[in-house]
Amino acid sequence: MAIKLQNVTKSFGQLTVIDNVSLEAGDDEFLVLLGPSGCGKSTILRMIAGLETVTSGEIHLGGKRVDQLPPSDRDMAFVFQSYALYPHMTVRRNIAFPLIMRQFRWWFHVPFIGDYFKRRIENSPEVRGLVERTADTLALTKVLDRHPRTLSGGQRQRVALGRAMVREPSAFLMDEPLSNLDAKLRTAMRAEITQLHQRVGGNFVYVTHDQIEAMTMGTRIALMRDGHLQQYGTPREIYEKPANTYVARFIGTPPMNLIDAEVEGMTVRIGSSVLPLPDKAERPGGNSRMKVWLGLRPGALAIVPPGQGKSLPGTVTLVEHVGAESLISVKLSGVHTAHDDDGGLTDEVMVSVPGYSELRVGEAVGIDCLLKDFSLFEKDSGVRVGGRAAEDFLAGGRVGTIRTAS
Amino acid sequence: MKHNSTARTLAVLVLLGVAAFPLYWMLVTSLTPSERLFDATPNLLPTLSQIGTYAAAFTETSLRQWLINSLIVAVGTTVLSILLSVLPAYALSRLTFNGKLLLGFALFMTQMLPEAMLVVPLYDIFTKLSLLNTLLGLILANTAFTVPVVTWILKGAIDGVPSEIEEAARVDGCSRLGIVLAVVVPLIAPTLAAAAVIAFFHGWNEYVFAQTFISDDALRTASVGLASFVGELSTPVHTVMAVGFIYTLPAVVFYLFVQRYVVAGMTTGGVKG
Repeated sequence: MAIKLQNVTKSFGQLTVIDNVSLEAGDDEFLVLLGPSGCGKSTILRMIAGLETVTSGEIHLGGKRVDQLPPSDRDMAFVFQSYALYPHMTVRRNIAFPLIMRQFRWWFHVPFIGDYFKRRIENSPEVRGLVERTADTLALTKVLDRHPRTLSGGQRQRVALGRAMVREPSAFLMDEPLSNLDAKLRTAMRAEITQLHQRVGGNFVYVTHDQIEAMTMGTRIALMRDGHLQQYGTPREIYEKPANTYVARFIGTPPMNLIDAEVEGMTVRIGSSVLPLPDKAERPGGNSRMKVWLGLRPGALAIVPPGQGKSLPGTVTLVEHVGAESLISVKLSGVHTAHDDDGGLTDEVMVSVPGYSELRVGEAVGIDCLLKDFSLFEKDSGVRVGGRAAEDFLAGGRVGTIRTAS
Repeated sequence: MKHNSTARTLAVLVLLGVAAFPLYWMLVTSLTPSERLFDATPNLLPTLSQIGTYAAAFTETSLRQWLINSLIVAVGTTVLSILLSVLPAYALSRLTFNGKLLLGFALFMTQMLPEAMLVVPLYDIFTKLSLLNTLLGLILANTAFTVPVVTWILKGAIDGVPSEIEEAARVDGCSRLGIVLAVVVPLIAPTLAAAAVIAFFHGWNEYVFAQTFISDDALRTASVGLASFVGELSTPVHTVMAVGFIYTLPAVVFYLFVQRYVVAGMTTGGVKG
């Protein structure tokens, strides 16, 4: 079922933490809310779940407005960062809990009598079967009768997933569910959640600050910053056509290099080098000069001998070997770069070269800009120049506010 | 390491001795022949031939009835205190409402009033409500004193229950009352047990109200019964000590019964620590 946020705003007193966000995820979409800590992504998720009220705006699920409904009536399951299992219940009861709640009657509150009826529901063939099938899917069969405190982190997280799955909800909401796991387990669980999405379908809304999770799991990413939506699109769109310098620097490891440049007609001037732009390049209209940030991924720069062709002169400042590739930091002479979108200027770029680089710190090199895959951003506003991306994701009302990086 | 553990064991033994000695002294005194009671050298070992004092305590006094009455009052106070405190404690911990601070403070204020000061007004109220000379009246009076304490203790425990667990229950379809009863109460079981101990001891030991509100012999509690032995001219030391010893035992047994619930770590494993 489609999830739609329409001009959603959330304020705590005078403080606005979510400012007029609109987005829409279609059926069976895996939507990732991505951003740094404190950007408001978890607040959006909690508003979708009904754990936070909406100050203004509307939330729709499958065409039905849900923002006024209590969490239990929204047909959504929530997986918490801290798992939030019921420590006094066995794994079996934890998973069965939402099903027991569906058949809950007021007299279940009465001690002993309530326990008897809850146990009866838990042991009914229907609930038992469903719980055991879920446990089987998540490899939890052997621990069904144990308590959460006896389980490992990964198992606890799977119990939390099981509790969500067993309800067969219209939407799964997950708040950084993997951030408490170690790196190896996180990779395994990432694959499990992706497979779960493929298997059970339904909408997934997944909050993370980890761009790798976002890129690998999401079918659509909403990148947030300070309560504002920066870009909403597929992982590929966001990676290849970032809407502004903030997105450009946030997505990709190492991040995109932003090089001080000037575009005039079909050429771009970097320092004293003038390079031709490809015919189909996104660029400002007309022939007037325009100051820009030229965005190039570390792979779109090449290290050449100093002085070769139109290469930019520089000096190696750091060499990092990461196995399949080496990351080389080069300080350019006479050319500024933006270290990050709100930081000051530096003159360094990062270049990735395949294999083990023999370069040494202090060595003079030349940097070739491979103008095949690149982005141009307005110097002052940081917004993408002439690109289709911004217009694309604005079309269809999927995005309300684009805040420029400044 | 070994040195540390020996020192710790010694410290525990000393504390245990300090705590248990009065009880032992009562036992020894109750089992010491009358002529040796006031010896210059205290007798530290019980004389087992005096065990008949205990049989006599039951046959010659109304001890059995007093103990039953005390038990009714203590259990009644405990159950009622817990029942009446859970929801206010939850409200003080989790809900936001006008006058919350004032309410919490008012609960504290009740603890500042001495029991003796309330005897007269309560007497008047109980007369009008026909609660005078009833165990129910005594239970209500005791509960009025224990509820604020128990509420504050439980509030502290509920503060420690991770809010995500409650939110998970909300998403899973639990009502607010359901959350309190099915999720919060089991998680604060150790504190509930500790609060129950406090309420039970209060009900079991209470003297001023029991002495004032109960005039019927058959409704006397053990605390009042025990005091009744102390006469103007003579005090039967053996009987007082024997009854005193017996009077202490149920409280100890109750504590031993609930102390296994007073263990930390119940919430371990629910959320990532």
